[in-house]
Amino acid sequence: MSLKTYIIARILLAVPMVLILLTVVFVIMRVIPGDPVLTLLGGKAPIEVIEAKRHELGLDKPIIVQYGEYLLNLFKGDLGKSLLTERPIIEELGDRLPATVELTIMGFIIALVIGIFWGVEAARRHDTAFDLSARVYSIFIYSVPVFWLGMVFQLVFGVWLKWLPVAGRIPPLMEPKHITGMYLFDALLTANWDSAREALRHLILPSVTLGLVISSVFVRMVRGNMVLSLSQDFVKAARARGIKERAVVYRHALKNAMVPIMTVLGLQLALLFAGAVLTETTFSWPGIGTYLIQKIRYRDFMAVQGAIVIYALIVVTLSIVVDIVNAWIDPRIRY
Amino acid sequence: MDRTVEVKFLSASIGRAFRKFFRSGSGKMAFTGAVILIIFLLAAVFAEQIAPYDPTVRSGKAFLSPNSEHIFGTDNLGRDMFSRVLYGSRIALLIAFIAVLIAAAVGIPLGLLSGYVGGPLDRVLVLIMDAVYSFPGLILAIAVAAVLGTGVINIAVSIAVVYAPTYFRVIRNQVSSIKSELYVEAAKAIGAKNWTILLRYVLPNVLPSVVVVLSMNLADAIMVEAGLSFLGLGIAPPTPDWGYDLSNGQRFILMNDWWMIMFPGLAIIVLVLGFSLFSEGLNEYLNPNVGERE
Repeated sequence: MSLKTYIIARILLAVPMVLILLTVVFVIMRVIPGDPVLTLLGGKAPIEVIEAKRHELGLDKPIIVQYGEYLLNLFKGDLGKSLLTERPIIEELGDRLPATVELTIMGFIIALVIGIFWGVEAARRHDTAFDLSARVYSIFIYSVPVFWLGMVFQLVFGVWLKWLPVAGRIPPLMEPKHITGMYLFDALLTANWDSAREALRHLILPSVTLGLVISSVFVRMVRGNMVLSLSQDFVKAARARGIKERAVVYRHALKNAMVPIMTVLGLQLALLFAGAVLTETTFSWPGIGTYLIQKIRYRDFMAVQGAIVIYALIVVTLSIVVDIVNAWIDPRIRY
Repeated sequence: MDRTVEVKFLSASIGRAFRKFFRSGSGKMAFTGAVILIIFLLAAVFAEQIAPYDPTVRSGKAFLSPNSEHIFGTDNLGRDMFSRVLYGSRIALLIAFIAVLIAAAVGIPLGLLSGYVGGPLDRVLVLIMDAVYSFPGLILAIAVAAVLGTGVINIAVSIAVVYAPTYFRVIRNQVSSIKSELYVEAAKAIGAKNWTILLRYVLPNVLPSVVVVLSMNLADAIMVEAGLSFLGLGIAPPTPDWGYDLSNGQRFILMNDWWMIMFPGLAIIVLVLGFSLFSEGLNEYLNPNVGERE
């Protein structure tokens, strides 16, 4: 199978998955709770007002028709309007998305760096104290709630040492020119160094918090796969040919260990986004996670549904990307 | 064999198994975990006897840092933090256990059925469960909790939705491989009914892995519960709850109230660590060489 056919097949395979996820979201948001209008307006609103609102939102139609319209609108990129602000939900989410993407990318990079270095070095020193430290670290950090770690960092670096800000993305009026919406990236692109420094300062604590917590799984995965990879014949062969140890480990062994790591990575991305919701809340980071929680507080269920749908789409898209990258690295997967 | 000899033989071999278990690294790990869990269980059961104060009413000045009367300090309403942390283990354990039981009660039968029957039913169930499994667990729980509202059972159900697919996957995969074992064939050949085969031959063989998954899930369930109540989707105050206490403590973080966030957080860490060590140790002992790669 050529890479192109693989990509097409993989995307087609994702279609039922997306449909199922969207259906699950629909069942949770529309079938279980009964009536979003009633919860929004409260029990005391006059019947006519409730009926009018219900009609406006199409909630008086049979559930199966609502389901069809929900899928059709999603297909057109329409998530409906917020019950509260009356703005299209897709626009509101669009404003928030760059903040979440910025945070998760930085968190992911930090986790990856910790995971690769600690995991690889632990595997090289298999069954030594250093190896044990990696295992203890990954079990321990797995037990730490991400929001608690965030608070401890706020306390130490924000309150005690006063080095870093504890909330928000950037001070008012310092936002760089809008290109991608990711402040650090935009500020660097426009060579706006003051904004870049402030954006980075705000980004450090949330992304380190998220990265550390996610790194638990990375350290464990890299270590386990590297132990296996290092014990294989091609590693012996590479050493016998006199290749430098560093190259043997990082180029030959790691490259082979990366394929199973990447496969599991696809599943860990879900963990990253779940962690991001808590991290965003802890640091008042204005991303999709804080949007979701705010909208739940205001009982704006159309917006809640929209946010969940976006998370579902992001996760499915990323898992497709991971699989395609995998197939590109390792052609065997395509068969 | 003579009965006394038999008993002696049995006790000796059990003793040997135990000694081997405790000498191995994984055995020590599981044991440490078990000790932590027992301490927390005792704390939860005897919270009324141990706690020096009522956790829901004022028992001193507000914002007292740890001292001899309030060893964990007091919160913004003057409630004793030590008593709150102690009582908090009740909600944490209660919700986690109920959640995991619901998840197992849904996931195990479906997994048995799907793996044993196979065919289109299996394919559809696998597709659905895989989709739910791939979704970020906490976000799914947030969605369900948001529509169900507060209350022990509602929160347990929200968490159970996340973990039911885990049981389903583990059981289904094992059953579909056990199905072709000789002893199942033999049972079929002597005319055993499908139900008998499932319950008497298949189920006992998948139970050990259920125990491991169960204790792993308890760790995750405690994390998700703490996360939900941190986000304001948990048990309604003033019931002592670690996640709620953490979000409450965070409001005063600029006043340097470190004790309000430190102790509930440490309680979560130690309890989750207990479950992780226990399940990890048990898993390594039961299936050595497995799980390394995950």
